Amino acid sequence: MVNIFKRLWQVNWAEQWQYRANLIMYLLYFLVSPVIYLAVWTSIAASRGEVNGFTTNDFITYYMTLLIVDQITSNIILHIFAYKVQDGSLSGELIRPIHPMLTNTLVNNIAFKALSLMGLTPIWIILFALFRPDYSGVTWLNMALSIPAMALGFIIGFLLSAAVTSLAFWTTRVYSISEFYFAIFLLFSGQFVPLPLMPDFVQEVAKYLPFQLSLYFPIQLILGKLSPEEIIQGFLAGILWLPISIGLFNWVWREGVRRYSAVGA
Amino acid sequence: MRYFRLLATLLKVNIQMSLAYRADTVVNILLNLMWLGWELLGLSIIFNNTETLGGWGPGELIALLGVFRLVNTMMAALIWPNTEKFNQSVRDGSLDYTLLQPVNSMFLVTFSRITVWRIWDLVLAFILIAVGVAMTGATATAVSILNFVLLTVSGTIVIYSLWIVLIAFTFWFTKFDNNVTILQALLDAGRYPVTVYPVWLRIIVTYLIPIAVATTIPLQALRGELGLGSVVTFIGIGIASFLAASSVWKVGVKRYSGASS
Amino acid sequence: MAHQSPILVTRLSKTYKVPEREGGFGAAVRSFFKRKYKDVKAVQEVSFKIEQGEIVGFLGPNGAGKTTTLKMLSGLLHPTSGGAAVLSFIPWELKPEYLRSMTLVMGQRNRLSWDIPAADSFLLNQAIYRIPDDEYKKTYKELDELLELEPLMKKPVRNLSLGERMKCEIAAGLLHRPKVLFLDEPTIGLDITGQARIREFLLEYNQRTGATILLTSHYMADVTALCERILIIHHGELKYDGGISDLSRRIAPFKLIGVMLADADTHDLSGYGIEVPNEEDLEKRYIQVNAGDVTGVTSRLLADLPIHDITITDPPIESVIEQAFQQ
Repeated sequence: MVNIFKRLWQVNWAEQWQYRANLIMYLLYFLVSPVIYLAVWTSIAASRGEVNGFTTNDFITYYMTLLIVDQITSNIILHIFAYKVQDGSLSGELIRPIHPMLTNTLVNNIAFKALSLMGLTPIWIILFALFRPDYSGVTWLNMALSIPAMALGFIIGFLLSAAVTSLAFWTTRVYSISEFYFAIFLLFSGQFVPLPLMPDFVQEVAKYLPFQLSLYFPIQLILGKLSPEEIIQGFLAGILWLPISIGLFNWVWREGVRRYSAVGA
Repeated sequence: MRYFRLLATLLKVNIQMSLAYRADTVVNILLNLMWLGWELLGLSIIFNNTETLGGWGPGELIALLGVFRLVNTMMAALIWPNTEKFNQSVRDGSLDYTLLQPVNSMFLVTFSRITVWRIWDLVLAFILIAVGVAMTGATATAVSILNFVLLTVSGTIVIYSLWIVLIAFTFWFTKFDNNVTILQALLDAGRYPVTVYPVWLRIIVTYLIPIAVATTIPLQALRGELGLGSVVTFIGIGIASFLAASSVWKVGVKRYSGASS
Repeated sequence: MAHQSPILVTRLSKTYKVPEREGGFGAAVRSFFKRKYKDVKAVQEVSFKIEQGEIVGFLGPNGAGKTTTLKMLSGLLHPTSGGAAVLSFIPWELKPEYLRSMTLVMGQRNRLSWDIPAADSFLLNQAIYRIPDDEYKKTYKELDELLELEPLMKKPVRNLSLGERMKCEIAAGLLHRPKVLFLDEPTIGLDITGQARIREFLLEYNQRTGATILLTSHYMADVTALCERILIIHHGELKYDGGISDLSRRIAPFKLIGVMLADADTHDLSGYGIEVPNEEDLEKRYIQVNAGDVTGVTSRLLADLPIHDITITDPPIESVIEQAFQQ
C-alpha cells in the first residue's frame, strides 16, 4: 500500500509540476479576495480602534494566517474529478484495484498543495513585509495543536467535497451544486469575515456545521484566540464530524458507482 | 447598420442555444441571487461596525456594488465565454475560419458568445444603482449623473480594451491559456472603493489592471468629486485605449499570418 | 474580353523561423534569453496557374507544404516571397470582397458551432457574408438537393455523425457561392460511401457553378475520380504539374506484366524485372518493367515459362504517385 502511494506521488507530482505556470495564476486568483477583505477591515479598525474586539493587527494576522490555512485545508477535487466522470475517463480508474478518490485524487490534491505552498511562500513573505503583522501572541503549543486541527479540517473538507463532487454521477449540473456548496462554506467557515463579526444567527448555525473546522477554528487556534474550553469543543466537533463525513462520502460514492455502471457511461 | 444586423443574428443564435439549457438558466439565476444576498450581507456587516468606509456611506457602496455588477455582467455575459471560445479556437485551429470571414475579426471574437440570461443581471445592477443613489440623498445632479454614465461607459471600454490586448498576446505566445486570469482575479477589487486599499494595491487596480476606472471613478463622478478636467481626461483614456487595443489586435493578426516576421 | 486565370501563383515561398531547442533544463534557461532559430523552408518557389472550372488535386506526403500553400492562397499566411493572385485579388490583403468570393474548408477543423443546430450556424453565415434572403434560399435548396441536408439541420452538430457533419461543414462553406474552393482533406476520416458522396457532390457542384477547385487529399480515389490535373509537391518544391494520365509516362514510365503460371510459386522471375505484390489479383504474379522493354520481356517470358495467361497494364496511380514522392 505504501508503495502504491509512493508511485502515485511520483506521477502526480510530475503532473502538477508540468502545470506550474497555471499555479502562479491560481495563486493570484486565490490571494485577491483575502487581501481585499484584509484592507477593508483594517481600514475600519484603524478608524475606530477596534471592531467587536478585533484590533487592526487581529485582522491582519487573521487574514494572513487564513492564506496559509486555506491552502492546507482546501481541495481541488471538483476540478479534477467531475470532469473525469463526464468525459468517461473515470471508467479506466474504476477497474483498477484501488479506490480512485481516496488514492489518486487524494494524492493529486496533496501534490497540488505542496506545490502551491511552495509558490505561496515568497508571496506571503512579501505580504508580511507590506502589512507587518504582529505574531507575538503565537505559542509553540498553539502551533503544535494546529497540526491535528488542520489535518482534521482537511480530511473532513476533503470527504464532504468528494461527496458533493460525486453527485456528478447523477447530474451534469454538479458545478452549480458545488458553487452552492462553496457559497455556504464561504459564509460559515470564517473565510468571508471572522465569525464573531457575523450576525448572531449565522454564528449560531456555524457552530453546528463542519465548515469552521477548516478555517476559523485552526486560524484562531494558531493565533491563540481560543479558550481551553473552545479548543476542546473544536476538537470534539472534529472527532464527531469525521465519522459522519466518512459515512456520507461512502454512501454517496457507493450509490454513484452503482449508477455509473448501470448507465454504462 | 450591417453590424447591428449581425449582432441581432448572433443574439438570436445565442438565445436559441440558451433555450436548450433552460434548467441551467434557472439554476444560474438562483445562484446569482444568492451571491447578491451574500454581497449585501457583507455590506450590512461592514456598516454594522462603521458609518463610513473610506469616506463612503452605505448608499454609495450599494451604488458601487451596482456599478461593479454592471462591469461584472459585461465580463460574464461576453468576455469570459468569448475568451473560452477564442482559446478553444486557437487550440483547434478554427481561428483560421474566424480570420477568413469578411467581417471585422475583433467584432466576431467579442460577440460570438453571449450569455443571454445575464440581461437579468443588468436589471439588478440598475436597481442597485438607483437604490444606492436614492439612499445617498439628493446630492446627485443632472450633470453628475451624466458624468457618471459617460465614465461608466468609458471605464468599461478601458477594461474591454485591456481584454483585447490580453487575448491578442496569444498571437505572439501561442501557449497562453491563462491570458485573462489576471483580469479575472483582480476584478473583485472593484467591489470596494479603492481609497480603502493600501497604496500598492491601489496603484495596481488603477493603473496596471484598471478595474477602478470602471467602478470607483464613475462613482466619484456621481458624488461630484471630479472636475470637468478629470471627466474629459477619463473619457479620453477610454477612447485612446480602444484605439490602442484595436491596433494591437491588427498587428497581432498580421503577426499570426506571418506578415511581420 | 481579357482573360485571366482565377488562380495564378508565381515563385511563392514561405520560410518559417522555428526556435531550436535542445533538451534539458540548462538549455531551456539559455533559450529563454537567447533563442536560436532554424529556417524551415515550407514552400519554395512554387509557380502554377489554374483555369476557371478546373478541379486540381494537390498532392504530397505529410509536411510537404500543401497546407501552407493553401493557407497562403486563402489569405491566412503571408508568403516570405513571391506572389499570388486569386480572382485578381492578393489573398493576404484579406479584402472583404475576396473573402466573399472564395472558401476554405479544412476537414480536420470545425467551422460549425458544436452546441447549436447547423441551421443556426447557416443563418449566421448568411449575415456574415451578407447573402440576400432569396439567394440564400436558392443556394440552400440546391445544396439540400445534392447533399440531403434537411434532416440534419435541426440537430445540434455534436449529435451528427462524422459524415453528416462533413456534409454540413462543406455546405456552410458554400452558402455564399464562392467561385474558388480550397479544400484541405475534405473526406478525411469518412468511410468509403461517405467519401463517394462528397466526391459526387463536388463534381456536380463544379459542373453546375463552374467553380474552380484546388483540393488536397490522402485518398487517391478522391484524386482519380475528381481531378484531371494534379500538382505534386515535395519538400516544398513543385515536382509535377500536369494531367493525371501523363503522370505515369513522365514520372514512372513503367508497365506491369501479369503472368498466370502453371505452377506459380516455383519459378524465379527476378531475371525479367522487379516483382511487385498485388493484393487484388492473387492468381497472377506481377513484374514491373520499363515501358520500352515490354515487348522484349514479354517474348522472353512466353518462351521460357509455362504461361497460361499474360496481361500488360499501367501501374496503379497510387504507386506511381508514391514513386513520384520518392524522387
